[in-house]
Amino acid sequence: MFDFQYAIEIFPTILSALRITISATIVGFILAFVLGLVLAMLSRTKVKTIATITNGVIKFIRNTPLLVQLYFIFYVFPSFGLTLSPFVAGVLGLGIHYSTYLSEVFRSGIDAVPVGQWEVGKALNFTQKQTWTRIILPQAVPPIVPVIGNYFITMFKETPLLSAITLVEILQQAKILGANSFSYVEPITIVGILFFVLSYPASLLIKQLENKLNKKYQV
Amino acid sequence: MTEPIVRYNQVSKYFGDLQVLNKIDFDIMPGEKVALIGPSGSGKTTFARLLMTLESLSSGTIQVDGQYLWHEEKDGKLVKASSKHLREVRQNIGMVFQHFHLFPHMTVLENVMEAQVTVKKTPEKEAEKISKDMLDKVGLLEKADVYPAQLSGGQKQRVAIARALVMKPKVMIFDEPTSALDPELVGEVLEIIKEIADEGEMAMLLITHEMDFALEVADRIAFFDGGKIVEQGSPEQMINNPETPRLNEFLSRFNATNSL
Amino acid sequence: MSTLEILGSLLKEGLLVTVSLTFFSAILALVLGFGSGLARMSKSKIIWFIAGTYVELFRGTSLLVQLFFIYFVLPMFGLRMSAMVAAVLAIGLNFGAYTSEVVRSAVQAIDVGQREASVALNMTRQQMMRRIIIPQAFIRMIPNLGNQLIELFKSTSLVSLITLTDLTYQANVLNGSTLETTKIYTLLLLIYFVLAWPLTKGMNVLERKLTEGRF
Repeated sequence: MFDFQYAIEIFPTILSALRITISATIVGFILAFVLGLVLAMLSRTKVKTIATITNGVIKFIRNTPLLVQLYFIFYVFPSFGLTLSPFVAGVLGLGIHYSTYLSEVFRSGIDAVPVGQWEVGKALNFTQKQTWTRIILPQAVPPIVPVIGNYFITMFKETPLLSAITLVEILQQAKILGANSFSYVEPITIVGILFFVLSYPASLLIKQLENKLNKKYQV
Repeated sequence: MTEPIVRYNQVSKYFGDLQVLNKIDFDIMPGEKVALIGPSGSGKTTFARLLMTLESLSSGTIQVDGQYLWHEEKDGKLVKASSKHLREVRQNIGMVFQHFHLFPHMTVLENVMEAQVTVKKTPEKEAEKISKDMLDKVGLLEKADVYPAQLSGGQKQRVAIARALVMKPKVMIFDEPTSALDPELVGEVLEIIKEIADEGEMAMLLITHEMDFALEVADRIAFFDGGKIVEQGSPEQMINNPETPRLNEFLSRFNATNSL
Repeated sequence: MSTLEILGSLLKEGLLVTVSLTFFSAILALVLGFGSGLARMSKSKIIWFIAGTYVELFRGTSLLVQLFFIYFVLPMFGLRMSAMVAAVLAIGLNFGAYTSEVVRSAVQAIDVGQREASVALNMTRQQMMRRIIIPQAFIRMIPNLGNQLIELFKSTSLVSLITLTDLTYQANVLNGSTLETTKIYTLLLLIYFVLAWPLTKGMNVLERKLTEGRF
């Protein structure tokens, strides 16, 4: 049965691993954000070959499991001379995997900006770069902030997969504790509660933000 | 004799197999106000959009202030213009759109300032002063800090005109600037355009269905039909003595709708 | 080992587990998703609360944690089950929660006029849902359900971590016994892609077939 004494005893140990979970989420998210934006822009270029290759890469990554991609980065890269720590490999896998999802989100945001905005960029003689940074992205990004926020939470919940490549985040920490004491009940329950306590309120916040944005952009 | 500010030479445009413009020659003189009229689908909008580089040329050349717009001269030959060259020539052209296309994420003042600062590299203080003066001129200074969503259509279009004007183009395109407006808001916009026209130095290419307005403002009217300029001349001549049956038909249809 | 031998060994041992796991947990997810999605629109506070708790609980935590909980923790309370049952249960429950949201939003997106027309025709609430609302909502759900199915399929790889012998598990075993790391994981990626890609395409075709001439 559930041993509260033991749960209280191991709680600090699990909590200390939360730092790894959260930093993996944040670094992975930054990577996914930047790479997602780049992919979205590349998939829209007028150079057909670049657009086709980009779309192909996105499709491949989206249609294969993150766990296998993590194994690939962690176990296969070293045979090409690229040995990565579990953290770096994990963040790289997480970031690349979700960049393909974010690129889709960015693309929808960009497509929603009226064609006239591109035309006016030309009429006012903006450079391509100025048109993107001053006109298109400032309009494309705010409406998709809630979707991007939800992906942040999704990525947070995916970090336990990084335990499979030996990163000691909270789930791995819980497993280690469980293996030592032969009791998985308390450590895994704590991990479940931690995930819920952090991600549920965050998702409520995002829902609120979404309602606010809906009001702002639809009226 | 002065050189034209814009010269179309044998300009054609295809969308796929569809020919929209058929070998058009056309000059616009500095400061000249030209109105383009004609049925929808006649090619007049495409004609103007080519000048703004919003559509690409199928064949022919366009020159602006003596420079090729879509081409560059290299070793005595005409080659496709680089984007750098395009931007350089494009400085001379401005455009006011049918649907305004204001930047929804910027205030009215920011809308007018934006291109001055980012494109012309005007110092922010100076750009702000120029923009406020211009907003004053179009009668919207008190709306400087408001977002476009809170403006009426007529006000939006006046801001769009101010935004285009502060860039000081030599040629300004007005693409049906009042067609998207409620009838009661058309007047305020036409008034501003007329004011600008009276100042004189900027050439204007005005696509419009407001025939009375075209008469009042334009030095010359060009009638488009089927991808060609079928007839052109002074407003009086065009309205009173149309030479071609097509123009006659077009004008009579107009009078009929107007008298409804 | 040759590439072909590796491929053969991966497919022979793991394919059936991956495919059947996908199949059974997808059915469970669909049933749970429809049940809880409709339950969340129920007028009964109790039903509404139970469905809501289920959905938020499973969406608010990680699939892998849920999998470990069901496989490692539940036995401590006397609920012992095979790895396969635990996997179907975990994946089905997890994706059921996401499907629930798909169902709910599709039903809510149906025009109010459809309800009003049903009332005007004197249908019962049940008739309205079964005959009018759900058939329309279902078509709207197809693209999202398709995406869910792909995500579910990919997530089956997680079961290798509770020693269920799926494709990924076989790859890990093979990797331990041979030194063909590059070949094994490249092939594994390709196998997943080749399985997922027709699924994506198939859903697109289904969507087109169902919406043809209707919207």
